[in-house]
Amino acid sequence: MSASSSTYTFAPSVITLDPVTRIEGHLKIQVQVDDVGGTLQVVDAWSTGTLFRGFEKILENRHPWDAVPLTQRICGVCPVSHGLAAVKALDAASSVTPPANGRIMRNFVLGANFIASHVLHFYHLALLDYVAGPGLPPWEPSWKTDLRLGASKTQTLVQHYLAALEMRRVAHEAGAIFGGRLPMPPAYVPGGFTHHPNSGDIKQAKTRLKDLIAFIQDVWIPDVVLLGDHYGDYFSVGRGPGNLLAYGVFDLDAKGQELLLKRGRIENGSDAVLPVDIGAITEDVTCSWYDQGANGLNPASGKTDAQYPKSGAYSWLKAPRYDGLPYEVGPLARMTVNGDYHNGISVLDRHMARALEALKVAQAMKTWLKKLDPDQPVFKKHALPQSAQAFGLTEAPRGALGHWVKIQNKKIAHYQVVTPTCWNASPRDTGGLRGPIEQALLGTTVQSVTEPIELLRVVHSFDPCLACAVHVMRPGGGDCLAVS
Amino acid sequence: MSVTRRDFLKYCTASAAALGISAAEVRALAKALLNGGGPTVLWLQGSSCSGCSVSFLNHVASTTPHDAADVLINVINLAYHPTLMAAAGDTAVAAAAAASLAPGHILVVEGGIPTAFAGNACWAWSENGADVTFQQAVTTHAQAAAAIVCVGQCSAYGGIPAAPPNPTAVQSVKQLTGLPTINVAGCPPHPDWMVWTIAKLVAGAQIPLDSFGRPTELYAKRVHDQCPRKEKDEEAESFGEHGGCLEELGCRGPWSQTKGNCPKVKFNDKANWCIGADAPCQGCTNPGFPGTEPFFHEEGEDGDD
Repeated sequence: MSASSSTYTFAPSVITLDPVTRIEGHLKIQVQVDDVGGTLQVVDAWSTGTLFRGFEKILENRHPWDAVPLTQRICGVCPVSHGLAAVKALDAASSVTPPANGRIMRNFVLGANFIASHVLHFYHLALLDYVAGPGLPPWEPSWKTDLRLGASKTQTLVQHYLAALEMRRVAHEAGAIFGGRLPMPPAYVPGGFTHHPNSGDIKQAKTRLKDLIAFIQDVWIPDVVLLGDHYGDYFSVGRGPGNLLAYGVFDLDAKGQELLLKRGRIENGSDAVLPVDIGAITEDVTCSWYDQGANGLNPASGKTDAQYPKSGAYSWLKAPRYDGLPYEVGPLARMTVNGDYHNGISVLDRHMARALEALKVAQAMKTWLKKLDPDQPVFKKHALPQSAQAFGLTEAPRGALGHWVKIQNKKIAHYQVVTPTCWNASPRDTGGLRGPIEQALLGTTVQSVTEPIELLRVVHSFDPCLACAVHVMRPGGGDCLAVS
Repeated sequence: MSVTRRDFLKYCTASAAALGISAAEVRALAKALLNGGGPTVLWLQGSSCSGCSVSFLNHVASTTPHDAADVLINVINLAYHPTLMAAAGDTAVAAAAAASLAPGHILVVEGGIPTAFAGNACWAWSENGADVTFQQAVTTHAQAAAAIVCVGQCSAYGGIPAAPPNPTAVQSVKQLTGLPTINVAGCPPHPDWMVWTIAKLVAGAQIPLDSFGRPTELYAKRVHDQCPRKEKDEEAESFGEHGGCLEELGCRGPWSQTKGNCPKVKFNDKANWCIGADAPCQGCTNPGFPGTEPFFHEEGEDGDD
């Protein structure tokens, strides 16, 4: 068994798939498979985050505004979302409302990064689970299991893979016009934004948006439909818990009451969109390498005291829960909560919702450009409070993101970040409930234990911000077998 | 067979289907071409955020290599890169092992190396059933490489994960291995800086380094010395003002080791740059980044080095 350095007890036989690539960061998933009605199916799964950096500790005692540039570096794929969550928390702490220009540019740069991240995800992270790429590294070696598209369609998709590299770059350029640069835009500050837009900026951004919208409409969405034609079974694979949560994103008014993608949650796939009570969010650490004293706390008072090894623990991720239940977050959750998507919850629904969301955001960005006024302020000067407690909620491309801050003596006294991948890739909680990816893997049929491509498809559909490792356990005991 | 990798790619993506070439034949051809391809690059990610890789993908230039795809197809054999490679699991680990045997291969490291918890705050992969820490992976692979390129602050100097109290005892590659490294500083580095360094190594050129391991050609001058706002009398006294020098707001461009040509090359196909967006320079090429000084002087007081 490969998890020699963890103390979690697994079934006796393990096949190791580690690393799972084409993903951001470090995550490991262990899966037990068994013969179910003549096919090999996943009967249990464990998700393990394998990186710990301790950002919360690094932020303590620093100037509160430092949270903005520092938390952006939690993730180079979704830095803008962290920057926005931080400035929203600090806006709230100072009771300041950014002027319209500031709010719009915050939204625009976030939108540009959503498009860049979503394009990267579909074409460069996920697509190679379905088609073979160009015949040279880094696209070779590759698995050849269950590739269903013929040569002609494969070649077309590979061309789109290359075109998409350019499109994600163009999306970043559109955002950098206002944000200063991407990734890690320096223009986000509490009280607004630093950049002063001019008519040339607006024109340049418009040109790039036009290309992006054309690509999403004419290339990307048809490609997801094409994938659905050949992999229709993936509309019923990888459902997960069926609970969807969205904090909402893209404030359309000063108070943040009207959102492009609204806040809400759905329990067990029902049609009802329920309200979100932030107080109902807790983080379990029973199966996480943190001091058990932090178990079940709301992030406002959460703790991040590492404890490795720890009996029963198998992940560096905590397990966020809403009212004690695991929730899936991401584009499918947002689009479903917003009433823009109705088809279901599955691997392919996640891909389709992500592409449709990119189009919705890009079209909204076009209208936001018209509302920028070069003659109006971008920033509201305000005083830093002596002490305050606040949180900032937004969405990363891959799901709900929250920052919780406590200020004392004008310094950060406490900071907690709950990332979307903590929700999606969380380990079991105190009650033994599996995290969403763990649940989504259950029941997945695996054709080849040496090339378990189906597991990659399920894991990738969540767009986890982690480098994964999947371990497949074989029934009936035996030695560790390496997947090759 | 005299076909360039670029020709091959065109062939592979456009003509193969029309010519009725099977996928297996295309792959066999690819394999043959690989033997004559550029040097092998092994790109490892540790205590990082992938921001350096994302920045690399933003490369665009009027001279060759024109973009990231051009680099991957025509300049290097990127044998291992966790975010981009098709292979997963032991197929990927085997690719890393094979790459480390390739003569003249380049090791690129993105991210610092946590040494707390016996290295268990970051795992690289599993090998023969055992978890391999990033510390073990870097220690092993650094020995075999012809050159080690550290992209970004974390692998070069420790960066943000090593900021006080350095919760996971992160070290730089040089601290861990004692080996010389070429440090492409920045958080993240400009894509041109990464591509320039790799292209120089591929060409077999000598790369003179400063005392912090940075290529002197890329990190020759302070940002402040090249800043178009340097000679301006007008100083911004508050955020929200446009066009003035940002020193009083916390700009780190004047710091002695904040070096780089960003005022000239800007970012994202020259879309803008930090100071161009009226945002103070964060000094992200300074080996001491992030330091403990506040990034912003939100009340406009003067900052010192």
